Amino acid sequence: MVPAPMLDVHPPVGAPNGEASSSQQKSQKQMTKAERRELQERQRAAKAAKAAANGAPSKPAAKPKESAPSGSAAKPKPNRVSDAQARPAAPAAARAAEKAKAGQAAATTDAMARTQARGLLIFSHFGLPKPVSAAKGDIHPAIVRLALQFSTFKITGANARCIATLTAFKTIIQDYVTPPNHTLSRHLMTYLSPQISHLVAARPMSVTMGNAIRQLKLEISGTDPDLPEQDAKDALCRKIDTYMRERILIADQVIQETASSKIKDGDVILTYARSSVVEKVLLDAHASGRDFSVIVVDSRPMLEGKRLAAVLSEAGIQCTYLLLPALGSVISEVSTVLVGAHSIHTNGAVYSRAGTALVAMMAKRHSVPVVVCCETYKFSETIQLDSFSKNELAPVGDLFSSFPNTKPRESLTLENQPNLEILNPLYDLTPPTCITAVVTEVGVIPPNSISSIPVALGRLL
Amino acid sequence: MTPELHTIPGHRAVETLVAKLRRRQVVGSREAALETALVLRQVVSKARFSNIQQLIAVIREVGRRLAEAQPKEHSVGNTVRRVLHNVREEYNSATKGSAASSRNVYSISKFVLQGQPRKHTGGAAKSEARITLKENDPKDPDSFARALKPVLMEAIQDVLDELETVYDNVSKNAKDHIHSDEIILTIGHSKTVEAFLKSAGHYRNYTVIVAETAPSYQGHEMARSLSAAGISTFLVPDSSIFAIMSRVNKVILGAHAILANGGLFAISGSLVAATAARAHSTPVVVCAGQFKLTPLWNLYHEHGALDFADPSSVLGFEEGRLVERVDVVNPYYDYVGPELVDVFITNDGDHPPSSVYRLIKETYDDDDHEL
Repeated sequence: MVPAPMLDVHPPVGAPNGEASSSQQKSQKQMTKAERRELQERQRAAKAAKAAANGAPSKPAAKPKESAPSGSAAKPKPNRVSDAQARPAAPAAARAAEKAKAGQAAATTDAMARTQARGLLIFSHFGLPKPVSAAKGDIHPAIVRLALQFSTFKITGANARCIATLTAFKTIIQDYVTPPNHTLSRHLMTYLSPQISHLVAARPMSVTMGNAIRQLKLEISGTDPDLPEQDAKDALCRKIDTYMRERILIADQVIQETASSKIKDGDVILTYARSSVVEKVLLDAHASGRDFSVIVVDSRPMLEGKRLAAVLSEAGIQCTYLLLPALGSVISEVSTVLVGAHSIHTNGAVYSRAGTALVAMMAKRHSVPVVVCCETYKFSETIQLDSFSKNELAPVGDLFSSFPNTKPRESLTLENQPNLEILNPLYDLTPPTCITAVVTEVGVIPPNSISSIPVALGRLL
Repeated sequence: MTPELHTIPGHRAVETLVAKLRRRQVVGSREAALETALVLRQVVSKARFSNIQQLIAVIREVGRRLAEAQPKEHSVGNTVRRVLHNVREEYNSATKGSAASSRNVYSISKFVLQGQPRKHTGGAAKSEARITLKENDPKDPDSFARALKPVLMEAIQDVLDELETVYDNVSKNAKDHIHSDEIILTIGHSKTVEAFLKSAGHYRNYTVIVAETAPSYQGHEMARSLSAAGISTFLVPDSSIFAIMSRVNKVILGAHAILANGGLFAISGSLVAATAARAHSTPVVVCAGQFKLTPLWNLYHEHGALDFADPSSVLGFEEGRLVERVDVVNPYYDYVGPELVDVFITNDGDHPPSSVYRLIKETYDDDDHEL
């Protein structure tokens, strides 16, 4: 990524040519366990030394990943970053002791860096999810737990993450005690911010969380300083409850009613992945006796649609399940496409699970209406032009062991090869031209009117 | 007129290939085309005939059997048509003047065919091997076959040679299509595209993004092979095709069969990729050998080639009860219309979709469209 510092990384005593060439072949995978441990120890020492030297907190590095024996192609990236930062500051003694090993490792990573550097550039800003680092400072156990759930994708979905975060915040607020000589309205926020950064370190914050936290900050700063502490905390918790109820739960109910009334007998509804709102809409329409069938389209990396198909077919809805590449074969039979959203931008572009844009595009080409179900608290007051400016990568590896059992695993998992990198973007951006209507709790609106909604709501966001 | 199959010499080889095709033991257009050409060579070398009609009837019957065994493997039928075309051409040049004129029925298509200058030069070159042919000689019924067979074998060998060199010929101009620092998107694992990209990799430093192409996940193989060849490769799930399309310079697809209207059958997912490319005004390039040119139209169905693969690779039995309640669709192929393709790169030059019909006219005889 940054070639200049990498040149410094070479140990002062250059390894002889023969050794260098042999070390190139020796990838991390081929190292013995002991060698890997040594490398890890050295890096840790270097990092500690650096932290001690400039007193700055060292970046949370992908420590467990470095030593992990499972080969993932994307691995060298975090490695290189930490190496490049850490090694120049390494104490000379440690370097001398590990000289040979360091030389090998540096040569390997550098060779990889050089071959991959060019390709990396356009994806370099995506950033892989980091394994949760040790909690820095005073992190509430509820947040530590939540961060783990986020980083391992145990809690996914914009609504679920927002509700989980707000619930955790309620616990924090109740457990919080204002230190003497501080007021709650001023100090609580400084107490909350490291908690929030801990969550963000686990997985980038969703727009919904951002909106909710902004609202919470507003409420906290507006708390009457004369109120007894417990009353103030109770009031805040009530505010959080109201927010969850009004902006998420009741909003969902309204959307559910509005959208399900659009489903008619004989319709074929196509949906992509799994949106909690869409699931409710479909179940509601089925419960109210309408006879329709659902096509669930799904794709890696998450294959969430499988669960949706399970839920819907359990409820007795006729379901067809297919993977995204087969979409072209069925799109002409579809009467409505119904998808959820992660967030929606002012220009009407919908930021949602990767693949939604493909579905919407195909639907538009075949003149099938695309309806997005989205609560107003998901509105983001920014504009994004394509899926590149902001995105998130799913971790590579066994976390999403979503390959079919019929394939031999070794044919699917690619080892850490030079020149090869695996990317799993989690989101994409559906342009507003592909969207017919957005169903919100305040009504069904075309995507180009999104910008007027926050204003109409009196900027409740 | 139509001979029974068991009377055809070499029918054992035909039956073996029919079985293999039916069991999908021969998959892939080029593989099937090669096998077909080999079987036809065997059949022609053993065939007994005293006039050209008999020979053509034999080849047709064999071709019909093979094509029926696997109707979606269009390259089988194409190879048969190609062999028929070459056989007629050899026959015409051998009997120039006498028999050729009998075939000269006036039609616009024939007129276009005759307007092909290289057809004439090809014919002239071959006419050196002119032999005195006597059809239906009552004294020596085999004399016709004996005299014609060497040129016929040569004609079939031409077809075989073309099939064997198809990857090299498709990829010989690869460096003119891919420039440095380009980002190429491809899906699936087409051998033609693989050869094309690797050939360009010798001259250019570029990046390939491979969509993994569920449920076969052929993209993994492709990514492995390309990265081993030293090409900077990224492997992405199919879901991010739209997301990355804004940074892609070119989409390169393989084809299963190219249809007469300039559309094509290709691995499922091609339609989605090509449509996304069109939405971003990204050029779509199709790499394919000429043996994939098929004189067919896809007039009636959106379901690609109406050929479905095993649903268990989409939803395996490990999903338990879900399997019995949910319908699973897993088509092999997508139909990509001509409006989504910018160029076909074949082993015989680059062609726009609008001129595919002309290639088909050149390559096959009109009589053979229905085998």
